[in-house]
Amino acid sequence: MSSQSSQEGYWRQAAQEYGAALERLAWAYEADSDRRRDLLQEIHLALWRSFAAFDGRCSLRTWVYRVAHNAAISHAIRRRKRNAPVFLSLEEIEALPDSQDLEATAGREQALARLLALVQQLDWIDRQLILAYLEDLDADSISQITGLSVANVWTKLHRIKNVLIRRFYSGATDAK
Amino acid sequence: MRSDYLPDDLKRLWKELASNPVAVSPDDLRRESRKLGSGLRLRNAFVTIACSLIIAAYAFFAWRSRTTPERIGAVLAVAGVANMIVQFLRRPARVMPGGTTESVRFYRLELERHRDFHRGKGIISWLLPCLPGPIIFNVAFALDRPAFAPIVALQLAVMLLAAALVVPLNLRVARKFQRRIEALDGSIQ
Repeated sequence: MSSQSSQEGYWRQAAQEYGAALERLAWAYEADSDRRRDLLQEIHLALWRSFAAFDGRCSLRTWVYRVAHNAAISHAIRRRKRNAPVFLSLEEIEALPDSQDLEATAGREQALARLLALVQQLDWIDRQLILAYLEDLDADSISQITGLSVANVWTKLHRIKNVLIRRFYSGATDAK
Repeated sequence: MRSDYLPDDLKRLWKELASNPVAVSPDDLRRESRKLGSGLRLRNAFVTIACSLIIAAYAFFAWRSRTTPERIGAVLAVAGVANMIVQFLRRPARVMPGGTTESVRFYRLELERHRDFHRGKGIISWLLPCLPGPIIFNVAFALDRPAFAPIVALQLAVMLLAAALVVPLNLRVARKFQRRIEALDGSIQ
């Protein structure tokens, strides 16, 4: 396989397996829908370029998440706004998944918006950790992506999860 | 409900977020990748041409000037702008978000790069060498041609004011990046 076709092959595989996760990652970094689309394209472009140098020393998943987080960090630093305003437009609310149960759907949309708002407010490193956790990555994988030690990942995740869950459920109580 | 672990339903909730598949194709990415490369070349060419025009103008002044101070100023301006071209073309390339760099290290490298651009390297090696030449040239020009003195004085005032604002503003931004580096170091220990 030539390097160009392997580059395309890796990208296709990454887009297929992690496309949805990358989109969620973009949601976590950008509240504004136009900028989020730009960020997602930047991530895919960064992935495409990076695969020219992918040598298989780490797993495809680790590679994809590293590139995606790094591209998101670059994007966010360029914007120089630590906490972007958090809101969902009508189109975004409409884009949320359908459900047969309207009442349940409204509740889930609110819960999703609340969870997203909490994630978007986190510091970048904390945000990366919780994103990886929400995507079912284990501490070893998170350590490989971030470069933090496994013990550090555990400690920080423990703290972040406690804060997040406390705020999430206190928000739910407030909403009622 | 409140435990050391987030309940699984929060993970499931999170995964409901993505709803629109990405509409990018390999052809789009190839095109964007080429555009990125050509955009950088275009920017380099634009800066080089703009600086070359300034060099040509001051070289002309150095050749045609009536007084020695004017010539010295023009030569210094040529040297300052030439230095700017060299520094610009030799500037460290932006760290591309690759897969070999862990995200925390990448974040730190990006913060350092922005800090260094605003602190020291960016200002001292690019901007300051450009100032003495035009200042000497303009003062000498005004002394030799008193009729132009008000215009030259205004021009110098604007130039010095801009330089006086640019330096502290950049240093302030650099300090912000330094604080973020320190906060990052503190948070990962």
